Amino acid sequence: MADRGGFEALDACVHCGFCLQACPTFLATGDEADGPRGRIELMRALEAGELAVDDPAVRIHLDRCLGCRGCEPVCPSGVGYGRGIEAARALLATRRDPAPLARAALWALTTAGASGIVYALARLLRATGIPARLAGWGRFRFAMGMLAASAAKGGGGRGRSVKVGGGAPRSNLHHPPPSSTTSPVLLFRGCVMDGLFAHVHDATVRTLEVNGYAVREVPGQVCCGALHAHAGLREAARQLARVNVAAFAAGDEPIVVNSAGCGAMLKEYAHLVDAGPFAARVRDVTELLAARGPRPGAPVDLQVAYDPPCHLLHAQRIADEPHRMLAAIPVLRVASLPDAAQCCGSAGLFTLLEPAMSRAVLAPKIESLRAASPHVVATGNPGCIMQLGAGLAAAGLPTRARHPVELLDESYRAAGYYA
Amino acid sequence: MTAQLADALADIVGARHVRTTPAERRTYARDGLPTHQRVPGVVALPGSRDELVAVVRLLAAHGVPFVPRGAGTGLSGGALADGSAVLVVLTRLNRILRIDPTNRVAVVEPGVVNARLSAAAAPLGLHYAPDPSSQTACTIGGNVAENAGGPHCLKYGVTANHVLALEVVLADGRLVELGSPGGEPWGPDLVGLFVGSEGNFGIATRIAVRLHPLPRAVRTLLADFASLRSAGEGVSAVIASGIVPAALEMMDQSCINAVEDSVYAAGYPRDAAAVLLVELDGGAEAAVAAEATTVAELLLTHGARSIRTASDAAERERLWQGRKKAFGAMGRLSRDLVVQDAVVPRSALPDVLETIGRIAATYQLTVSNVFHAGDGNLHPNISFDGAVPGLKARVDAASTEIMEACIAVGGTITGEHGVGLDKLRYMPLIFDGDSLAAMRAVRRVWDPDERVNPGKVVPVHACREWAGWGPRATGPGSAGQTRPGTADPGAMPRGSGDRMAV
Amino acid sequence: MSLLERVRALLGDDAVEIAGGPDAVPRVAPASPDAVALLLGTAREEGWRVRLEGAGTWLPADAPADLALTTRRLDRVPAIEPQDLSATAEAGIGCDLLRQQLADRGTWLALDPPGLAGRTLGSVVATATAGPLRQGFGAVRDHVLGVTFVTGDGRLVHSGGRVVKNVAGYDLTKLEAGGFGAFGVIVLVHLRLRALPRADQTFVLAGTREDLTQVAEDIVAAGLQPAALELMSPALARREGWALAVRLAGSAALVASQEAGLRGASGGRFTALRADEAHGFWMRAAESVATRPVTFRIGGLPDSSDELLDLLQHQVGDEWVSASPAVGAIRWAGDTTVDRLRRLRRTLAGLEVPLTLERAPWPMRSAVGHFGAYREGVGPLVASLRRTFDPGEAFVVAVEGSE
Repeated sequence: MADRGGFEALDACVHCGFCLQACPTFLATGDEADGPRGRIELMRALEAGELAVDDPAVRIHLDRCLGCRGCEPVCPSGVGYGRGIEAARALLATRRDPAPLARAALWALTTAGASGIVYALARLLRATGIPARLAGWGRFRFAMGMLAASAAKGGGGRGRSVKVGGGAPRSNLHHPPPSSTTSPVLLFRGCVMDGLFAHVHDATVRTLEVNGYAVREVPGQVCCGALHAHAGLREAARQLARVNVAAFAAGDEPIVVNSAGCGAMLKEYAHLVDAGPFAARVRDVTELLAARGPRPGAPVDLQVAYDPPCHLLHAQRIADEPHRMLAAIPVLRVASLPDAAQCCGSAGLFTLLEPAMSRAVLAPKIESLRAASPHVVATGNPGCIMQLGAGLAAAGLPTRARHPVELLDESYRAAGYYA
Repeated sequence: MTAQLADALADIVGARHVRTTPAERRTYARDGLPTHQRVPGVVALPGSRDELVAVVRLLAAHGVPFVPRGAGTGLSGGALADGSAVLVVLTRLNRILRIDPTNRVAVVEPGVVNARLSAAAAPLGLHYAPDPSSQTACTIGGNVAENAGGPHCLKYGVTANHVLALEVVLADGRLVELGSPGGEPWGPDLVGLFVGSEGNFGIATRIAVRLHPLPRAVRTLLADFASLRSAGEGVSAVIASGIVPAALEMMDQSCINAVEDSVYAAGYPRDAAAVLLVELDGGAEAAVAAEATTVAELLLTHGARSIRTASDAAERERLWQGRKKAFGAMGRLSRDLVVQDAVVPRSALPDVLETIGRIAATYQLTVSNVFHAGDGNLHPNISFDGAVPGLKARVDAASTEIMEACIAVGGTITGEHGVGLDKLRYMPLIFDGDSLAAMRAVRRVWDPDERVNPGKVVPVHACREWAGWGPRATGPGSAGQTRPGTADPGAMPRGSGDRMAV
Repeated sequence: MSLLERVRALLGDDAVEIAGGPDAVPRVAPASPDAVALLLGTAREEGWRVRLEGAGTWLPADAPADLALTTRRLDRVPAIEPQDLSATAEAGIGCDLLRQQLADRGTWLALDPPGLAGRTLGSVVATATAGPLRQGFGAVRDHVLGVTFVTGDGRLVHSGGRVVKNVAGYDLTKLEAGGFGAFGVIVLVHLRLRALPRADQTFVLAGTREDLTQVAEDIVAAGLQPAALELMSPALARREGWALAVRLAGSAALVASQEAGLRGASGGRFTALRADEAHGFWMRAAESVATRPVTFRIGGLPDSSDELLDLLQHQVGDEWVSASPAVGAIRWAGDTTVDRLRRLRRTLAGLEVPLTLERAPWPMRSAVGHFGAYREGVGPLVASLRRTFDPGEAFVVAVEGSE
């Protein structure tokens, strides 16, 4: 049988429609062409050559897919929608260049060297406090809101993190963990996480160490390539994957990721390259922490709405671990909002490329947050933090968007676990 | 379909909500039964009742046929429109207008998803009882059109038993109000007549339904059997006992395995020839517990190998999710699927199940049974690969043979999916020419030009002629052109009392 | 050839039951559905006007007509299926006889219509007159799986079937159940049955209407699901004050637990009736309705029951009233005038409550109509349905009034 490049994952669809209500864009428009079942119809027709690759109507509706994969866990037949949409996007990319905005964003955010300057400038701008004051609903103001939302909040680490040494593990700890054995793990830094969320990396390292992990850095790693794959740039994604697989090739330690989007991508490298045992080593930070209990910290008196990132819940099927991790924080009140499993509309570059649809998908989530008015909405993905944060700021709500690991970090700091 | 019409539709609903490109229209070519395909001429998605009425009036003024569609989860090809028709999609009319907990009534727009209504009523201790297996996706409007059932209809009744009143826009754009807020018919029972009319009588724009209190006590049993026959006999024994379970469902081994392979795995025993899922509910714990004990004893004496009782709400939910998603899990067996919906007298179940097995063996086809056993409502699923030459013809032949076997024991061709396109050919097997003609005549009372969802439900060629074919309504707005009786060569001039010789 | 000669030639001598009844209208009793079709086909050709009768115990046999078609010889019960809990019966069978045959097979039709015990099944279905059991088991239509009927021009039409779930074709059964014969004469009925209840108990509490209304609300709020929960006026209940009657039916365990619940919800104030007392209680209540010249039913929302009873009391008196407050259904019997009924119907229509005139002498029926004061757009549909099923206007039925 010929290699069908991922389209074969769609074969199991029997058109039952059970996916429709799990699709944020279908909920926003009510249009079959904006739902998983309709898109599968388009993808099948693309593969069969019954619809043209340059048909603008096909592109509009496939471009409008968030790639959240909320349809996958509700599909009784196990249709591999995510594989299908990447195959379709790769096919579309053979006949068109990515939108200039997408190209610019990919270059600015993921290119080694260039992105370093971009992120440095962004951090400078962020530090002025101007983006926070500009935050709003327009395209530019929303982007400013996103940048502002990436800033560290609360008492966590500030500024640029100090990279952990590439050699022997270095302990940050004042009090050593109760367990005597330490397990080595390797941190995946990513691009946006590294550029704008270094404080989350710091929190990740500290909280893991409290729980008996020794975190090491691996030189030579690059962006995971998820944004490229979603944009149909399979070759670019493949090249990045090869670099990462090579960088982590030595050893068999778990690779810890704190960005759900990166984690999902790394776990699915086998779809792109011969990844060997790589994918099986990838762990979300909450998986590692939950496996250790984790160690209880000091009380944090906050009300938190946990909002699972799609690429954690749907793509990696990680549902309980973040809750188990947050349960280690005494007093913290964690609630799930109705439709928490619904996408926030961030979806990588989607928020930049399809702003109208992105905001339409975000709107019901902001309304639930308005009604519940928690102190914090916790979500383990940089795009989601920025999307929710920008939406909250634009809506004038006091709720802050944070990574859940930051909350545990705060609890541990208060407990005096750190020097 | 003319560009002018699309423009006029766009003027009403907004250009973003009109779909005209081949690619987009193609996504509406099928419903939940993918063996039928028709690409609509234009798709319009009105966002309010006023927009919907304006769309219908526009189409009436131009004499254009149209087809209403909800979520497109129907299983009869009923919500398909061909190139000459406009598909009117109701998913955006999704507001729950009112929930009245005192009188246990909800008023909704047609595009409200079934499960969302129950979710909204739950904090008030109420739910909407009809629960088609597609309830997480299907709409109340679609339920009304099809008179949808579901597992819990055994005790609580089908959609028709829960609809109190309707506001309907007729083919000519007139709005009519059927029934009354309390459910008492106002004149003849036009609500009852409308429910199950498969979109042929108009579009329900507002629907008042009865809600029920959430049961205070529930028991869910899973009984496994070594043969289909003994499971069927267990069903008859429960029904004859006088206990009315809330639901009584059966799944055979092929189905069990498909579910157990899916994300909805419920821990059904893979080695069972069949399982029965029995739910008992009521207002008092003691009575429900006693009924559950009686049912368990009955099933054990009729050959159940074991009986498992759901220990908590989460386990009950898992048992039910497995059952309800079984149809969707059929994609694991093969790429293509036909599903039937015959109903047989419940005492005939053991024999009919054996007959179906024999037919499947004769035609060398995979048939999976998952169905509402307590109602005798069968759902044989035939899985096949449409790409294999000649296989579809074999599937069709087997389907017909199964249907004939069900009719032979006093059954009917559809219990809840509707006739649509799929079962049109079976209608003459259970209705004579006069009965079919009576249906067509009634349709023409509501829609004299047969313009709403044309070509469904009643096989026109099998109808005897009917005096006048239902005179045209004379209300305002019906002054459209009289179209000659298309595809109706036998139609008699209006007022003729002549009858064709038998 | 005279009408009688033609009918005798068509259907045989014994089909003409009474050559001339009290009002000199010949009464014809066809012995089969086909004979009904033949008769009505001829009536259409000849332009005869036909009135429909069952046992003649409910609607007065007083509509002006050329002949009366009675279903009383259509009294077979072709099938009772205890395993399937379904039965098929011809329309002319008396409810009492049918009930006995069903009970012999351990089955039960959960309907307790007003009127005498010998009312025909066809009459109950055609007029959709449910009794107190509507509380637990629903309206008449909920018990009817299918019907065969004959149109005004003599066509035999089948609708529905004998299985308990059926969506094959439009549900014409719903049009016939409660159509008062305007859309055809029902000749055969497929019924949904229940197992004969193992336990069946009735409890009565007498008191003021206000007090009993509150008790009824408490019973509903306690989650009890009685087979009947009927509020009856003193004359109907043959009690000093108003009476609230509760009927519990089902398995012994169910009835026992409901009885405990009833005691809890009412403070143990109800009196249990012995089986023979209960039988007599419900039968007398049903029969009493038919001793009054006029009967109608209204249906509103449950929480409006009290207000509707007040309205009835004010406009037409409330001597003979039976209400299922939790369903919102009220049946009224008594004597009144055309003007009062018309005014009441208009008032009720303003409250979105339909009034269906069930029984009255012909002059009142024809003036007021069984139905009327329709909501938006319904009148033309009803008229068109009548023309469809009775193109020659053979049936003498007062569908709408003459107002």
